[in-house]
Amino acid sequence: MLLLVLIILPLLAAVASLFVKKQRGYFEVFAVVASSIEFVAGLFIASKVVANGSYSFEPYFTVDALSAIVMLTTVVIGLAAAVYSVGYLRAEEEKQIINFSQIKQYYFLFNIFIAVMYLAVATVNPIFTWIMVEATTLSTAFLIRFYNKASAIEAAWKFLILNSIGLLLGFFGSMLFFTSVTGEGIHKFVSWQVLLDNAVHLDPLVAKIAFIFVIVGYGTKAGFVPMHTWKPDAYGKAPFPIAALFSGPLLNVAMLTIMRYKTIVDVAIGHAFAQNLLIFFGIISIVVAASIVLVQKNFKRLFAYSSIEHVGIMALGFGFSGVGSVFALMHMIYHSLTKTILFFSAGNLMLKFGSAKIENIKGAIKLLPVTSVALLIGFLGITGVPPFGIFITEFNILSAGIGNFWYIVVLALIAFVLVFIGFFNRIVGAVFGQAPETLVKGENNLFTVLPILVLIIMLAVGSFYLPQSIWSLIHSAAAVIN
Amino acid sequence: MFEASQQLLFVLGSMVFIASVMLHLAKKNHLAVTLYVVQSLAIGGLLLLSLLFDFSYLLLLAVVCTIIVKGVVAPYFFLKLIKQNKLQFATSTYLNTPLTLVIVALIVVFIRTIFWNALQTFDGVNPDLLLLSLATILVSGFVLINRKGALSQILGVLSIENSIVSFALFAGLEQSPALQFGITFDILVWVIVSSIFVTLIYKQFGTLDVTSMKKLTE
Repeated sequence: MLLLVLIILPLLAAVASLFVKKQRGYFEVFAVVASSIEFVAGLFIASKVVANGSYSFEPYFTVDALSAIVMLTTVVIGLAAAVYSVGYLRAEEEKQIINFSQIKQYYFLFNIFIAVMYLAVATVNPIFTWIMVEATTLSTAFLIRFYNKASAIEAAWKFLILNSIGLLLGFFGSMLFFTSVTGEGIHKFVSWQVLLDNAVHLDPLVAKIAFIFVIVGYGTKAGFVPMHTWKPDAYGKAPFPIAALFSGPLLNVAMLTIMRYKTIVDVAIGHAFAQNLLIFFGIISIVVAASIVLVQKNFKRLFAYSSIEHVGIMALGFGFSGVGSVFALMHMIYHSLTKTILFFSAGNLMLKFGSAKIENIKGAIKLLPVTSVALLIGFLGITGVPPFGIFITEFNILSAGIGNFWYIVVLALIAFVLVFIGFFNRIVGAVFGQAPETLVKGENNLFTVLPILVLIIMLAVGSFYLPQSIWSLIHSAAAVIN
Repeated sequence: MFEASQQLLFVLGSMVFIASVMLHLAKKNHLAVTLYVVQSLAIGGLLLLSLLFDFSYLLLLAVVCTIIVKGVVAPYFFLKLIKQNKLQFATSTYLNTPLTLVIVALIVVFIRTIFWNALQTFDGVNPDLLLLSLATILVSGFVLINRKGALSQILGVLSIENSIVSFALFAGLEQSPALQFGITFDILVWVIVSSIFVTLIYKQFGTLDVTSMKKLTE
């Protein structure tokens, strides 16, 4: 029942948004109320998973520890994005950057986007997962061209084509996994569990080919190098709350799907193949992203490359396995929180300075003190400075790999230093310095600050203390993967 | 499924493959759309054949919906686009025709070399048919790389999807009716979304040549 609430509510909010004629407030209420109830439902579902191992709506939906973690990050970031969107879109409407029909389109697609992510996480069927992940592409393409500029259309087209090709390859890989269950009879509804149970029947060579297609396919969505090229452009053109959802929940959904297939391929041919592939994609993503971070001139693109780096770190963790998987899952949570803080803070800077270009932003601390502090916290958090959670996860992930893959660990460490330098130059330059005298001091509005503060509290508390229930979820999820 | 008339399966599989090769050669958008219709109808034929072995009215409905979406609705959208925007001719390719055909031939050789052993392991399945559909996947992918037109790229993506479906059918990996509805609905939405984007691109850039879109690099 709770799962139905989680899935149906955003769909209802989306449909209800279509019937709003004039009052913008209705969109906001629909989105925030739906997200709040989803948040509560998500917490209840997670608690049931902690208590019972899984929570199901038989026979089509189930949430286990692994999907519960992704679901939790989605409900948290979803609610934060819904609240932030209220303030962000109000400010943009005041500045006459967007009009009523754009706001209507935004909230409709926002809710659809959230709904399909829940569906992708909760479904028991791999092909339905594929349909929903593809649906995230279709629902967000129009959000990338939200501002109707030529460059936005170009970015959206690139996003649509690259993700569609990637996901078709993922679809093909998924199909190959189904060769283990052809004896079950055709036209049957095959679940992840059935695939896992039949993994021993999967031909080793087919399993390898299938996983390569899956990791390339869903890796396109996650943003592994070299399939990452859509990411900086799409992040750069999408509204800030949507970019936060791309960077947090959507990335996690793609990683969750890859991990589901990893568990199957591990049973079929052992751990080494998937681990090596994950380490390969992980380290090239980290190194390439780190080198490009150094030359970024736009906050959104900077954060996009940072997301590519962090998906690489997650892949490394899962590749190193064991303790690495535990901390890769924690990294997923911390990254979602920290990156959302960064996107929302940069969104506030954009609203104040009228630009997301770093060179145009100076002296933010004098104009937007709360946002600037949040940006600094986000910077320290995302670059893995102690005592933030990402420091703990990066440290433990690299520790997990130092024995067998010391050269990978050294490369990753060098990349982390480069990312820190890249971020430091840009964030410090934007926060300090001489603020333009023409701009008025003060935060944009309460809705653009409140979600940032809540997320900072969650990050700060979570960096020092994780509740036993979350630990339990993480360990259970890691047991599924390992 | 596979034990059905081998000749018929080969004819339909070959139609899917030839249509993807011809997509490289089509100079006019009308012809490219027609080729997609032919390919989709061949897929429809394969889906109908699969019904012979596991019939249900729900499945029949799913197959009919797939045929309608791929063979009627999608071409309708594309032809409307061509008419509205006067897109008589497909834009050019990166490689000339002889070189394109050489690459297509190399793809076929590559498929036979790399995948032959793996596909021998599929019980009761003719590896030649699987190789044909694998070659179609890569040849369709090459359409995307080689052609500069946005409409051609859409047809390339849809052709890849068709060839994956043919692979699934040849390998006996048909999905449940509910999932077939889901996939068909997904394709329908994809066609609508991509068609809208083609219109937007044409309005914004005055051409469908994707190489003329350089705003992101400015």
